Amino acid sequence: MIYESSALAVAVFAAFVASVLVLSFKLAARAKSVGGYFAAHGTVGWFTNGIAFAGDYLSAASFLGICGMIAFHGYDGFLYSIGYLAGWIVALLVIAEPVKRLGKYTLADALNAKFNSRGVKMVGAISTLVISLFYLVPQMVGAGALVKPLLGLPHWAGVSIVGVVVTVIVATAGMVSTTWVQFIKGTLLVIICAFVVVLLLERGFILPSTPITQDEVQTLTKVGEQTWVNGAPMTPANQLDSRLRERHGVGFGSVSALSNGGVATGPLGPVEYIEQFSGATITTWRKGTDASGATTFTPVERTGADLLLPGSSPTFKGVRSDNLGSKLDFLSLMLALFLGTASLPHILIRYYTVKDARAARKSTVVGIGAIGVFYVLTLFLGIGAMTSGALDPTDSNMAAPLLARTFGNGLFAVISAVAFTTVLGTVSGLIMAGAGAVAHDLLKDVCRFKLSDAAQVRAAKWTAVGLGAAAIACGIVFEKMNVTFLVGWAFNIAASANLPALVMLLFWKRTTKQGVIAAMIVGLVSSLGWVLLSADTFEKVYGYSAAAATDAALMPFSQPAIVTVPLGFLVLVLVSLATASRPASSPPASSAAAA
Amino acid sequence: MSQLRRGARWLAPVLFSIYCACYAAFVLSAAFCTFEAGQPVGGLAAQSIGGLNVAVVAGFGLILGAFVLALVYARFGAHRDAAEKAQ
Repeated sequence: MIYESSALAVAVFAAFVASVLVLSFKLAARAKSVGGYFAAHGTVGWFTNGIAFAGDYLSAASFLGICGMIAFHGYDGFLYSIGYLAGWIVALLVIAEPVKRLGKYTLADALNAKFNSRGVKMVGAISTLVISLFYLVPQMVGAGALVKPLLGLPHWAGVSIVGVVVTVIVATAGMVSTTWVQFIKGTLLVIICAFVVVLLLERGFILPSTPITQDEVQTLTKVGEQTWVNGAPMTPANQLDSRLRERHGVGFGSVSALSNGGVATGPLGPVEYIEQFSGATITTWRKGTDASGATTFTPVERTGADLLLPGSSPTFKGVRSDNLGSKLDFLSLMLALFLGTASLPHILIRYYTVKDARAARKSTVVGIGAIGVFYVLTLFLGIGAMTSGALDPTDSNMAAPLLARTFGNGLFAVISAVAFTTVLGTVSGLIMAGAGAVAHDLLKDVCRFKLSDAAQVRAAKWTAVGLGAAAIACGIVFEKMNVTFLVGWAFNIAASANLPALVMLLFWKRTTKQGVIAAMIVGLVSSLGWVLLSADTFEKVYGYSAAAATDAALMPFSQPAIVTVPLGFLVLVLVSLATASRPASSPPASSAAAA
Repeated sequence: MSQLRRGARWLAPVLFSIYCACYAAFVLSAAFCTFEAGQPVGGLAAQSIGGLNVAVVAGFGLILGAFVLALVYARFGAHRDAAEKAQ
């Protein structure tokens, strides 16, 4: 409703796509061997790899989702920034160097380094595919959702463009081109976001030039694709944002009052910006449901100080509740974010693209720097979107691009293109992880097909094509479904299935292959089973009302990690002790590999 | 040199424990010390430096702290690598 497709956005995106495709074809010669295709021969520089980590990790959920959540619910979106970044400490201090020493191309390689077991390989590959799939679907659906308002194309076109481009990138030059796509995306994302924040600080906060009158305070109701304004279908004449823009110079989401009673703050420093926001009164938009069950959006005045505290959003409301189950749900999600990052297969395979453990460590530090800068910026971007009169109350994911539009259509076009590149970078990493799991782990090591180097690369390329097609199909099929929560599932499953096995393999010498297999299966099944039987899933997936979902749920809270991660460790220890035929004489895998 | 190796062995666990403690304190404080009956009573809602609340300062602190720890680890790791190379 408040979007116009921009030819400039299409041009910027087309230029980016053309350049990465040219790059991919040029680099294809370097990816003919297995080592070249899966790990870029281990020749990627540590700095390039560090920025590529940022490009791989900062998905659409990070860029659009977090900015949108902050714009609508304040501090709660920033909790994701904190949790996602904290997870990199686990990656740096626990996982990075040993995984580099142990593995070759895939997560299953590292898990199987000590055992040479088909079972470990198979479970590792299945875990990689499940996690990658849960991560992939929201990215593809997000691509379709983005393309409609930004480029004026239908949903299927957005999904297909991203799917085809990524498939070509991965199928031509594997990890070589994937690395460069992620490097370019990571660089662009951080620089452009920093630029928007600088403009935001320079502008400060501005109040509407005249107060908004009572008759202009409206309720939006969304039924299917149709939006209604105060009970009447939305038309160009009654759509609130354009009227407010004309009369008051603002649209949705604005500052109602500043702490000093002024009308504008002028340029502010970063600390002053947060301080001024904390003392201001803000008009935000609350999502609700009317008597007929239709979704409504109504304006609510809130203090900045309240918005800078956790617990405003449905996801984190447990923080403000006195109910222990709700608090455990919050603790469990924060634990999953902390432990999940270091167990994500598409992140772990980046460690194989550098030459040694030292480069793995240095690239993680660069990654933490780039990702940390971006996450600091998210709070400013979210607050800016909340107060710049540019929100679409019916779509939180559009907060960052719409904020950019308040600085001109040029920046809007660039941010829109960057949003697409965000999807490209992450999806290419996920397909790369999946291709390795199928071609290298399942076909070569589990099924024991005799594959030459060239045949293995061919198999991986065809797998990438297949995964790309599956990703396009999922993106189209799940269009109408709210799938953003699947990223949360991926973190929970990664933390529950992979982390106990990785950590114990590295640091407990009595770990057995049976223990690893059992822990991974139990972690995978228990975390997946838990989320499928939780109130969140009953509400968001099965379509129950909030109250009915709470009654129907079989689990006391929705996020499983706080139970299933310890369960994974426990199962690994018990099964390892039970299956150890004699005291292990070999040192732990990490020391063995280091020796 | 052996001291350096001993230090290297303990550095990662020590830094990891420090960060875990900070993260746990932040998360537990949000869950159990900030609200009572839905109203802010302290914890992350308390005022901190520069007119900002503890939630904002602690959030930025955890992000910047991660980077500082990473730099410390990288710096020490570089010394260790140099020592190993020299040996």
